[in-house]
Amino acid sequence: MNSQRGGAIDQGAAGAPVRGWAQFKAIVRKDLIRELRTRDMIVSMILFVLLAMVIFHYAFSVKEGADLTYFTGGMLWVTFIFAMLLGLNRSFAQEKDEHCLDGLLLCPVDRVTIFLAKTVGNLVFLLIIQAVAVPVFTLFFIERSYLGDVLPFLIVLLLADVGICALGTLLATISMNTRSRDLLLPILLLPLIVPVLIAATGATTLIFAEGAGLADLLARVLFLLGFDAVFLVAAWGTYDFAIGE
Amino acid sequence: MTIEEGVKYVAAAYAIILAVLVIYYFMSARRVTALQRDVQLLEDEAKRLQAPAGEAGAE
Amino acid sequence: MKKLVSAPALFIGAGVFLITGLMLAFWYSPVDSSSMGFSQKIFYYHVPIAETALVAFGIAFVAAVAYLRTQDLKWDRLSYVSVRLGLLFSILVMITGMIWGKAAWDTWWAWEPRLTTFLLVCFLYAAYWVLRSVVDEEQRRATYAAVFAIIAFINVPITFFATRFLPEGLHPVVISAGGTGMEGSMFVSFFISMIGMTLLLVALTRRDLAIENLKDRVTDLKTSLGG
Repeated sequence: MNSQRGGAIDQGAAGAPVRGWAQFKAIVRKDLIRELRTRDMIVSMILFVLLAMVIFHYAFSVKEGADLTYFTGGMLWVTFIFAMLLGLNRSFAQEKDEHCLDGLLLCPVDRVTIFLAKTVGNLVFLLIIQAVAVPVFTLFFIERSYLGDVLPFLIVLLLADVGICALGTLLATISMNTRSRDLLLPILLLPLIVPVLIAATGATTLIFAEGAGLADLLARVLFLLGFDAVFLVAAWGTYDFAIGE
Repeated sequence: MTIEEGVKYVAAAYAIILAVLVIYYFMSARRVTALQRDVQLLEDEAKRLQAPAGEAGAE
Repeated sequence: MKKLVSAPALFIGAGVFLITGLMLAFWYSPVDSSSMGFSQKIFYYHVPIAETALVAFGIAFVAAVAYLRTQDLKWDRLSYVSVRLGLLFSILVMITGMIWGKAAWDTWWAWEPRLTTFLLVCFLYAAYWVLRSVVDEEQRRATYAAVFAIIAFINVPITFFATRFLPEGLHPVVISAGGTGMEGSMFVSFFISMIGMTLLLVALTRRDLAIENLKDRVTDLKTSLGG
């Protein structure tokens, strides 16, 4: 695994911030390239998400032509959260088995840089999944035209994603180093993520069912913003300990 | 809801609270005495073992 | 060690305040005039227990930060003792909350802010215990637990806020604490009970901490004897 020690992770002359940025880019690039080369995680997550939607249809359609309009937010976010659990487990398990993280820690990389890089990497994966899943979802479940609602939806999506990825990255780092490994992550992450779920599902449902605009969703959007800010800082402060030996 | 029915629920709630707290208190008290006894036994044992060993070492 | 453990003054003090609070609640404070009626009396212990649970988790938070800074395991001990007590109190909150709900609104469960939040709190700190149980190495266990205790405690007020203000039109039942602005006589009983519960928490924490220290001492002695 020499690739992560080469090139950009280097003693730059320009000073810490520039070096940090270069390291950040390198780690993110390494993760993305590794995954895009094999593609197995992304493909699996996409398949999972699409299958989940089919299952949701059958799970909820007890009556002929049942109206699932007010379930849309819930279905979407439950799917994303569980897909994210799979993805986090997979990527961190792989890291651990291949001892990538050990190699990374031997370099003079700031722990926080590792955290941000991993979070962004996971965020990118989640966004890719969502880019495929959301159009299919609207095909399956949304009747009315939704083109005007794209912007509020994207904002909610991004904000909620950041929260999930930040906490998910922190906790996956911890859980991978325990005996239970992937079994532990959902137990740790899900209770913490409930506030995001409340805000995101509410907002998403209102967008899809009633075409709510940013003005109506202000409370939820601001809440998500606050959540992200608080937990990015918290994870920032504690990641050193989570990853340390 | 009448006062009587209300009293049943209120009584049940307080009873559970007091029961749980009292049980916890006594269980931990028992734990404390058992542990203190263990510590005492182990310390005595340690002293006992040191005395003959000291004599043997001196010879 | 014996003095630290028994500390009877704290327990007696707690008992005095709690019993006084109880008597005041029933014989001094008026019966609530709202539709809740007599069942509102549960409030006088229910809310102090809730607040004490949060105090316990707060102590766990501070201890966790202290551990991360000093790497001294005694802080870890305080942290998990506090979490355990906080969890105990939280379960009591849930039980009394459900009884109150049944008495006041004839339903054992409602997805209302306080019950929901404490349900999540229970899950959160139960997860803390699971985390501790799957890490074998002492320092690492303490470190991970500390990180989680910090994150969890930050999440508690956020969850309170989210369950209270975000869902719209989803408030079938609201168990209010007798409304804002408690009458003076209600407040006195409540306050006395509050002090009692807090003293009880401190007393139990000290004792549980002493138990952990004793357990440690036993292990040390056994090792030195056996080795």
